[in-house]
Amino acid sequence: MLCGGERFDLARTGLARTERLNGWMFIMPALVLLGVFMIYPILWSLWMSFQVGRGMNLSFGGFANILRLTQDPVFQRALSNTFIFLIVQVPIMLVLALIFATMLNDSKLWGRSLFRTAIFLPCVTSLVAYSVLFRSLFLADGFVNDFLLGLHLISEPIPWLADPFWAKIVIIMAITWRWTGYNMIFYLAAMQNIDRSIYESAKIDGVPTWARFWYLTVPMLKPVILFTSVISTIGTLQLFDEVNNIPPNAGGPSDATLTLSLYIYNLSFRFMPSFGYAATVSYVIVILVGILSYFQFMVVRDKRR
Amino acid sequence: MTGLRLRGVRKSFGVVEVIKGVDLDIASEEFIVFVGPSGCGKSTLLRMIAGLEEISDGELFIGDDKMNEVAPSKRGIAMVFQTYALYPHMTVRENMGFALRFAGTPKDEIARQVAEAARILELGDLLDRRPKELSGGQRQRVAIGRAIVRHPQVFLFDEPLSNLDAELRVHMRIELARLHRELNATIIYVTHDQVEAMTLADRIVVLRDGVVEQVGAPLELYDDPDNLFVAGFIGSPKMNFLKGEMEKGAVRLIEHGDIRVPVSVAAAPGTAVTVGIRPESFKADGSAALDLTVELVEHLGGETLAYARHGHGQLITVATDNDRGLASGDGFSARFNPEALLLFAADGARIR
Repeated sequence: MLCGGERFDLARTGLARTERLNGWMFIMPALVLLGVFMIYPILWSLWMSFQVGRGMNLSFGGFANILRLTQDPVFQRALSNTFIFLIVQVPIMLVLALIFATMLNDSKLWGRSLFRTAIFLPCVTSLVAYSVLFRSLFLADGFVNDFLLGLHLISEPIPWLADPFWAKIVIIMAITWRWTGYNMIFYLAAMQNIDRSIYESAKIDGVPTWARFWYLTVPMLKPVILFTSVISTIGTLQLFDEVNNIPPNAGGPSDATLTLSLYIYNLSFRFMPSFGYAATVSYVIVILVGILSYFQFMVVRDKRR
Repeated sequence: MTGLRLRGVRKSFGVVEVIKGVDLDIASEEFIVFVGPSGCGKSTLLRMIAGLEEISDGELFIGDDKMNEVAPSKRGIAMVFQTYALYPHMTVRENMGFALRFAGTPKDEIARQVAEAARILELGDLLDRRPKELSGGQRQRVAIGRAIVRHPQVFLFDEPLSNLDAELRVHMRIELARLHRELNATIIYVTHDQVEAMTLADRIVVLRDGVVEQVGAPLELYDDPDNLFVAGFIGSPKMNFLKGEMEKGAVRLIEHGDIRVPVSVAAAPGTAVTVGIRPESFKADGSAALDLTVELVEHLGGETLAYARHGHGQLITVATDNDRGLASGDGFSARFNPEALLLFAADGARIR
């Protein structure tokens, strides 16, 4: 009896080992690729962020790069620009997306799928292509100025891309145009999962339209709003294509649209390369994403749990 | 409290007409049940009364006021939905008090109303819970509570017990009957379950394909149905229908050895009729009988249902008082009184 039991256990262990080995074999190709192209660069860039020097001429500098951050006015400019885009653009975009989603969720609206498509369509355009188009629209003698002048809304052209203030506005309008539809789709999908009779019940009970939106729709969409605000925050912290392509000189005028990502690009490829410092700035973005996402989760967290 | 009047009410979705002209008077404080198979238009009719669907044609009065164009919230109604439609992010207390905030009700008055509804529905211990922490029956009670706090003239219930298990359904049925007495409200209740209709209603409205087939008290519909559809729909187990042909002063049951059963209805000899007899109308002391062979027996404890045929004829359900001796393959004589037969013409109308 005992003998038989032992043999059975041995067989089982053998089988389990084969299965385990098989499992590892199956995920090995993916693991190797992930390791080479993701984990290795992440660790290498962390190492890099402690290197100082120009071009290939690097040496270990300890915390020198972090010290440099605190004394670098261009970095501080890029940081504050990035935060301005984040604080102004993300809320505008998410509120707009929520309003569009609510309107387009109304089954009585005429041409509903047409509007849905129209608002979502910018998301499938190439970032560079639309940036170039926005640049041409907002040139001093571009379409927008011609249009406004033609309507006599303004008496002289607005220096859209030459003035630091207006340049920021153009960037904000551009990314809002590009990404609002993307967020709207998440809201629409979530709204279609809400039981219709919840709204019918509120309607019968005399709950006004604004209250149905504010007290019913918004709280029920809370998880999705959190999700979109986290991905929009990450997206804005990585803002690059638009600020590199819309202003005639990338990041301009006078660094008014310089973002952290663009600064990293400049440090690595446009100026005399200082890869070590660029890696340090990259880790600033990583840490900011971590901190901001954490706070967003805290704010939206269910207080009763 | 308030009654309702429907006059020639119709509803079309595009070219499809789903409610084909309903005339109905509902008395104040009446418990009225719309019953019918799925797709008969009963829920649509209820939603038209609620104002969630427009009325294509005809008139709806609640009390003395015409309500066709009036917003749902101004009709003096409250509705309980099949899915409960509770606000998932609010506690039971907030769910019940939510609508009152927008009616300008002061805070302490809202608290009083909610407490009163909680007392009636025995929800006192659950006020700080959220819907997902409640059982199906408790959610249903919260949905009813949300209706009660508004003190509506008319309560509308749209299949409120369909999502509950059988035991709970029986329990909630009793609760609803109690609630109706306690609230003295007019209740319109939609269900596809004829048992719910029979047990709850003051009057039942039987609907089929957007047409009212019959309106009446539960036992009126059971004893004296107007047509084949109502006869078949009301009563469980279902009524048996046999083929027959009229003769002078009698009906001949074609599939049962041409036996003649005396009946006293006015129909010309030779007319083809459908003869209805309820399973529970078979009595041991009846003066007429069908010769049947038992195919299957169901012992329910209190009664025994026998499913039997004559030769190769159709299956007949016989409820015996408690004949536990019956077994499959037995031949037996199912006795009944001729007065228990109901006769229907070829178009389904009752021949009286």
